[in-house]
Amino acid sequence: MEFRDYYQILGIAKTATADEIKKAYRKQARKYHPDVSKEADAETRMKEVNEANAVLSDPEKRAAYDQAGSRYRPGQEFQPPPDWGTGFEYSGDGAHGFYGDQSAEFSDFFSSLFGQAGGGGGAGEHRARGGDHHAKVMIELADAYHGATQTITLRAARLDPAGHVVTEERTLKVQIPKGVKEGQHIRLAGQGSPGFGGGAAGDLYLEVHFRPDPRYRVDGRDVHETVPVTPWEAALGATIEVPTPAGSLRVNVPPGSQAGRKLRLKERGIPGKPPGDLYLVLEVVLPPAATDKARQLYETMAREMDFNPRQGMGA
Amino acid sequence: MMTRDDILTGVLLDEVALSLDELACACAVEPNWIVERVEAGFLGNVAAGQITRWQFSSTELARARRLAAVERDFEANPELAALVADLIEEVERLKARLNAAGLPLA
Repeated sequence: MEFRDYYQILGIAKTATADEIKKAYRKQARKYHPDVSKEADAETRMKEVNEANAVLSDPEKRAAYDQAGSRYRPGQEFQPPPDWGTGFEYSGDGAHGFYGDQSAEFSDFFSSLFGQAGGGGGAGEHRARGGDHHAKVMIELADAYHGATQTITLRAARLDPAGHVVTEERTLKVQIPKGVKEGQHIRLAGQGSPGFGGGAAGDLYLEVHFRPDPRYRVDGRDVHETVPVTPWEAALGATIEVPTPAGSLRVNVPPGSQAGRKLRLKERGIPGKPPGDLYLVLEVVLPPAATDKARQLYETMAREMDFNPRQGMGA
Repeated sequence: MMTRDDILTGVLLDEVALSLDELACACAVEPNWIVERVEAGFLGNVAAGQITRWQFSSTELARARRLAAVERDFEANPELAALVADLIEEVERLKARLNAAGLPLA
């Protein structure tokens, strides 16, 4: 496990005052807040910043961290000192003294330093439900149409039999229910943190997001898909085969269709009560005039058809 | 005993709503924190005076977690956190409409 320099993460000196820490934290929180940040790794960075702030803004934890970290550089292999935890008394209840169970998302490094649950009291003396966990899961749009099984890997803090917090990776196979929408949560009972003193385990909430797919755009349960058509299919009408998240569909293009025309296929969006609709947006694609034959055909149209698309502009 | 190959089946929020206590647990806050924000109109769309019957959706879980995060990360008061959440949600709605219309975000 690598040593984490919380001062470096917040961009402050080791001598920083409480006010300076607060100021630096807010600055970083503004930069990396996942709701607004444009940084690619905003979520990871925000967790680091939260973790650094959780330690440095608490005088007791900061003092303990300073003592443990005085001999380390960032990235250096770190082992908690054998006498770790002695000589410090925490007024909170260890890892759970932070905002709810936020510490469940903190690093192994943090867990090794502050993960001793219930500092002083210890597990078993009171009964408490384990904290709920949250994770995001990316699925294909087609999974929302048909349902799917997704394998996800999560890191979570757990109590070992001696009452110490250890971080472990676990792999879960999760049923993605048919009809799930972007941003909706799947709640897995009992898959959060274990309880204390016989208390029930917390739950795991999976927030579902669709993997971006240039073919589809999703709005609630409605799905929009751009469908390329030939000029003659648009002008004369045709029955065309369209791959959709619901599978391949045969669709009638009405004669006289223009580019941008929307065909609404009722209840072919994401299933549910009520199901969404599928909108096919027609995109007329011109064949290239790359051969003599193609050029002749365009020239015939130019000659024979009385058509001026700029008429409405006064041209 | 669960094995690695067992497939977990959860419930989809909205098909099943969250109670006040469940929402509080999921946001790692005290139930009273939720009650204050509901009564102030910052969260949820529930009838006042029947706290035990309050029910919360997936959208409200996301909003409550966002409010809690903004209050915590910026030491914002609840009014400011609600304003930030309103603006973020509005931007998300507009982005979704742009996306549905096939228009680029920038």
